[in-house]
Order: sequence, then structure tokens, then C-alpha cells
Amino acid sequence: MWEFLIPLFAATVQSGTPILYATLGEMLTEKGGVLNLGVEGMMALAALAAFWTSLVTGSPWLGFVAGGCAGMLLASLHAFVCISCLGNQVVSGLALTILGGGLTHFLGVPYVGLAAPGFDPFDFPLLSQIPGVGEIFFKHDMLVYLSFIIPFLFWFFFRRTSLGLHVAATGEMPAAAAAVGLKPIRLRYFAVIAGGFLVGLGGAYLSLAYTHLWTNGLSGGRGWIAVALVIFAFWRPGRAVAGAYLFGGVMAFQLRLQAAGTHLPSSLLLMLPYLLTILVLILSAWRGRRIDAPAALGTNIEPEG
Amino acid sequence: MTDLQYVRPVRTRPLAKDARPVVSLKGLTKRFGKVVANDAITLDVYPGRIKALLGENGAGKSTMMSMLAGRYKPDEGTIEVDGRPVRFNSSKDAIQAGIGMVYQHFMLVDSMTVAENVLLGQEGSFFVSPREMEHRVGELAERYGLNIKPGERICDLSMGERQLVEILKLLYRESRILIFDEPTAVLTPEETRNLFEALWRMTEQGKSIIFISHKLEEVIALADEIAILRRGRIEGELDPESIESKADLASRMVGKEVLLEVDRQPAEIGDTVLEVRNLTGLGLTEVDLDVRRGEVVALVGVAGNGQKALVEAVTGLTKPPLDTVFIMGQPWRKFFAESTWNRSMCYIPEDRLGLATLPNQNLVDNLLLTTRKGFAKGLWLDKKKAAKHTVRLIEKFDIRPGRIHALAWQLSGGNLQKAVLARELYREPKLIVAEQPTQGLDVSATEEVWKRLLEARSMAGVLLVTGDLNEALQLADRIAVIYRGRILDVLDNTDKDTFRKIGPLMAGIVD
Repeated sequence: MWEFLIPLFAATVQSGTPILYATLGEMLTEKGGVLNLGVEGMMALAALAAFWTSLVTGSPWLGFVAGGCAGMLLASLHAFVCISCLGNQVVSGLALTILGGGLTHFLGVPYVGLAAPGFDPFDFPLLSQIPGVGEIFFKHDMLVYLSFIIPFLFWFFFRRTSLGLHVAATGEMPAAAAAVGLKPIRLRYFAVIAGGFLVGLGGAYLSLAYTHLWTNGLSGGRGWIAVALVIFAFWRPGRAVAGAYLFGGVMAFQLRLQAAGTHLPSSLLLMLPYLLTILVLILSAWRGRRIDAPAALGTNIEPEG
Repeated sequence: MTDLQYVRPVRTRPLAKDARPVVSLKGLTKRFGKVVANDAITLDVYPGRIKALLGENGAGKSTMMSMLAGRYKPDEGTIEVDGRPVRFNSSKDAIQAGIGMVYQHFMLVDSMTVAENVLLGQEGSFFVSPREMEHRVGELAERYGLNIKPGERICDLSMGERQLVEILKLLYRESRILIFDEPTAVLTPEETRNLFEALWRMTEQGKSIIFISHKLEEVIALADEIAILRRGRIEGELDPESIESKADLASRMVGKEVLLEVDRQPAEIGDTVLEVRNLTGLGLTEVDLDVRRGEVVALVGVAGNGQKALVEAVTGLTKPPLDTVFIMGQPWRKFFAESTWNRSMCYIPEDRLGLATLPNQNLVDNLLLTTRKGFAKGLWLDKKKAAKHTVRLIEKFDIRPGRIHALAWQLSGGNLQKAVLARELYREPKLIVAEQPTQGLDVSATEEVWKRLLEARSMAGVLLVTGDLNEALQLADRIAVIYRGRILDVLDNTDKDTFRKIGPLMAGIVD
């Protein structure tokens, strides 16, 4: 039993990591009051940017940062359209997904099948010796270890820094933030672009650690799962971790099922995260629980006068 | 309506001889188009005192305070703080000068704690500690005796507590002059009392308070000085101690000099079109009132004494108790179940741009809002015909701009009101309920509206709800005075004594 479960859990952590990065990125964006449905496209382009940079420079770390920057680039476009031009956030986000996906497909053609230097797993000193836990959590690559601390940083940012409070206030009630002299426009730009960076890191993980090869369709719907997970997690980083690993687990599990030769179609299993999200939404409505969405999420800040 | 139970801690606080005003308004004037919202206002506010600004809706209270709070720039006149003239370009400037305003709509982040809201933008460092923030805000609240837990979330607080948070925000920013715009509108009587106690404690710490209200009792119970604002002018300043002036206060607030006169010939009286019979509930007590075709019945009173409830019950916005309201001889339920678009009842609401019209729609669509059944051809709407009629109405009522594609929000107050009137009279109503029909209009528009309402008597009975006593005296055949949900008396306007009687009645004084 354990021989089967421990590798499955280890694979869960690995496949949950890109989702975790992306979910936290989208969560940061939404905390600032902007909905960004372009995560899927941002992850795809970031994966390519990371792969290409690593291939050219030979440094996976540079590639990792380049992935984040690619996410930021697309996020800036979204920020400009929504925050400065008061464009519809849903439309802009969907356009970003299609743009990112198409661009990646087009630019990635010469690299299909090539390998670039990436991150390899190594045993984390001491911690990897813990039976079970060590196997599951501490025999991965550097980016997985990095992803362990980001939720804490996220929590710290919103609870213990004034900038975090300002961003949250902007997502809840931009008018109140403006009334006390804050700059909601700038704060929203910050939230969208910083969130885009995190989403980009998730994309970079796919091409630098999850595989070291370039193939088409690497993001494989993970961006959409991230968007759904933000709601599933009620905008809380702790639950985002649980959600990311839950869905990472579903993905790892269905791979194993396929390998074992079951006839359960993989597309049915891949559907599970979304089904789960809908269930969570229904359940939370049933129990009369306030879904803790930022109050001003999805609305633009109209100029005064 | 519950009685206000508040006893001021000190009966009188005479103004010290050497007291210097902390804020002086000198000849402040503000115009919006042709309407003069504030006309040469001069007012002094002293430290440690509560100045009440009493006035009806539309008297210019909010305009005046918005200038003081830096939201509007005065057209003429100056504001002096500590004897030095200042110019505010934004509310930030005003806050910096120590002037803070608590608006009717709270600017609070619901999901954050009291402490986070108070300190938002004033945290003082990049890293913050919730406990330390709560401690800081808790100390501040304690100093002013405000009973609030700094760790609670705004969404769990009552309206009164939310108001305290707004006050704390100002106190934390060291505002010396605190302006309250109708602060008790959202409060329960208990919360009102708590607020008043807090305001008194703040004055003891040297803060100046400007309290805007149209509620007589509150103003008398709380203020050190009362300034009456009417039609954009300061009508005088009073001492709240003289109780016998309560009636005087009421009539001075609504005014007595005749600004505008119309020639009103009596019309032929016809059937009863509205009958309110012993209506109790909705904040009203034993209300009896009837309106007949050919007459204007004015309902006057200080705002907030039950006018709104009565209007809503009559116009179908709220459901009155069984067998209390009869329209055109039919019980309320039957009337509204079978009501037709024309030869029926029409309502001219106070809120012209919100309730009466759709701001972003053109005049044709706004005409169709209440008359579409008249332009229906089976399933289809005859828009061409509607446009034709709109053109005709624009000409007849001289609505400007005279384009049918003008959007409602683009019209001035007077033109918008004419458009609403044109639409409603097109329906050939038998009962007209007009609520503050000339509020905020200039003289010529007011005259126009008055004439139309008097003309309408040939086909309808008019229930005129107004805070403008002159309007009631000019238009009405009978004047009903409402106070705390009761109609104290219905006076005949042909009687010379009527005018003299209204003031005391509005203040609730029955001989």
C-alpha cells in the first residue's frame, strides 16, 4: 500500500507546485480587485520564455525569472486595458488566454522536442531523511522548496505589511482607499503585475522542472484550475496550498491510472477539479456562508466627476 | 417614531468673551448653473462648541459643508482657519487643515477590522502588527469615551458603531473640526443618544462640531448654537435654550416671505380621488386624509415626520394595512391590481434622476417608462409614435435641450422636472402625487411647475408633499400638517390665520 501511496503523494506535490504558484498569483491579483482570466495564456507564454532563456543562457535560474517576467508582461497588458482604459476584465482576461496560447504555439514551433537545462531533484539535507514526509516533500527540485515558503510570505504580506493592507483595501472598496489618501490605481497595477509574476513562475516550473523538454500544450488547463482554486480557497493562501495539492493529486492519480491501463477516460478525471469547484460554490451558498471574495472584485475604478 | 431621550450634560455653555473662531466662513457663495446653492454665507465656528446647521432638504447645507470639506470650491468668499484664509483644492487639504467630515455613506472596508480601517494609510511603518494597531486605536477610542472593540470586523458592526469608526478616523488624523452630515439618519434612538454623548465628550476635549440636521428636537437637545439655513442663506442664529422658539424655529426653517406668487383661481370640486382612512402603521398613526378632484391638498411638515411613508403607501411602493387607502373609490389592492396606464394615478417623485427617470436613456425611452401601454400595438412598441409625441411634449413644455435623443442626466433639474411633468400629465391622471416638485429649481422653472399643477386640477386632485411652506400656501386649498406620523390638523388655506398656525403645528405644538 505505502509503496504505492508515497510515490503518488510525492508526484502530487510535484504536479501541485505549478498550480500553487499560479493560484497564489491569481489570488494576489484578485485581492487587488482585478479578475484575470488570462492565467492559462500567461502560464503558456511564461513556460516558453523560461525554456528559451534557459536554452540560450544555460542558466535555469535566469529562465525561471524570465518566466515570471513573461507573466508580468501579459499582466501589464491586462492591467492597462482594465485599470487605465476601464475595459471589461472578463473579456480582457479571455483575450489574454487566447493571445498567450496562440503566441506560445507559434513561437514554440522551432523548439518542440528540444531539451534545456532545468532543475533536477535533490535530497533536502536532513529533512529528506524523515520517513514518509521526507519522501513526499523533500526529494524534489529547488522550485518546489521555494514554493513552500511563498504561502507564508503571502499571508505575511496581507496581514503584517501596510502595503498588503492597502492592496486589500483597494480590492474591497477603492473609494474608501482613495478617501484616506491611498492611490487605488497604482495599487491595482501592483497587484496585477506582481500576481502576473507569480503566475509566470508557475509556467516556468512546467518547462524547467516538470519536464525539461519543450512540447506544445504544456500548460494543459492548469491556468483554469488556478482560477477555480482561488474561489475554492476563499482567497486564503493556506487553503490554496490544500487545493493545489488536491488537484495536483488528481492529476498525478489519473496519470497513474492511465499507466496502469484502466479504461477510465482521462478527460473525465481532468474534469474533477472544476466539478469540485462547482460543488464548493453550491455548498458554501447552502450553508449561507459569505464567500469572502474581495467586494470590488471585477469592477473597475471609475474616475471621479 | 421614538422620542429622543438625551439630556445634555450642561444646560448652557455661554461663549467666552475672548473666544476666537477656529473656522470662519466669510461671504461664501456657490452657484450651480442658474441656481444659487449658497448665497453669501457668513458663519463662525468656535472651539469646544457644537454648531447645528438646521435646514430643509435642498436648503444648501450639504453644499456649504462640501466647500468647507474641500470638495467644492466657492465661487466667492473665503474660508479662514485660525484667522488665516485658506484655499482647499481637495478633501485632503481640508483634512490637513484639521477639518474632517463624516458622510452619510460610510467609507469603510467591510472585511477589515476597526483598527485597520482607522489606521489605513496612516500605519506609520511598512511592517505592521495587528495587535499593536488595535492597541493604538483602542487607546484613542478610550480617550474620547467611544465604546468600540478595535479588533472587530466592520461587517459585524451596527450602523452606529460604523459611524464611530468614521469618527475615530477623523480623530486619529487630529481633525479639530468635525462635520456630521445628517448623522442620525441611520441610527436607532439608542445609538443617537450614544452619539450625542460622544459628541459632547469630544467638545470637552476642545473639538468643534458642526452638526447638520433637519430634526428640530435633536438640534435643540444637542447644539450650543443653531444656525438656520434656508434657500442658501443663513436666516439667523438662535440659542437652543429658548424652548418657546421651537415653533419659530420650524417656521424660520421653512420660511415665510413670499418669493413668488401665482394667481390661483378656485377650480370646480369633483369626486374624491384619494381617501386615507385611519391609517396606522408604516410609522404613521391614525392618518385621515382625502383629496378631491379640483383641489390641491398640501402635506407639510419637517422632513422625516412620516411624509415618505404616506407617499409610498399611496403610490404603491409599500403595502398599507387593509382598508386604509382608497384610490378613485377603490381599495388599494384592487386599484393596483387593475390600474391602467392613463386616467389613473401618477407620481412625481422627489428623486428625479433616480426614481422618475433613467439617467442614461433618452427622452423617448423615458416617456415610455410610464406610458408604454399607450404606445403598444399587440406585442410591438410603436416607437415612432412615441418619438412624435415626445417632440410635441418638448415643444409644449419648452424642455431644453429640445432634442428627443438627449439623455435624462444631461437635462438641468428644471428641464428634467418639466419632462417628468409632461410625461405624467400626458397620462391624464385623476390623482397626482407630487413630492417636493420644485426643490432645487430656479424661479422660472418653479413658476412653470406650479402653473402646470394648478392647471391639472381640472382633471385631477393633487396631493402636494412639500417642505416649502410658501409653495403650500401658494398652491393648496387645504394644508395638512404632519408631525411624528400624525396629521395634527388640516387647515383651510382661505383662512387668514392658517399661516400663523402652521409653524407651531410643524413643531408639534397643538393649542
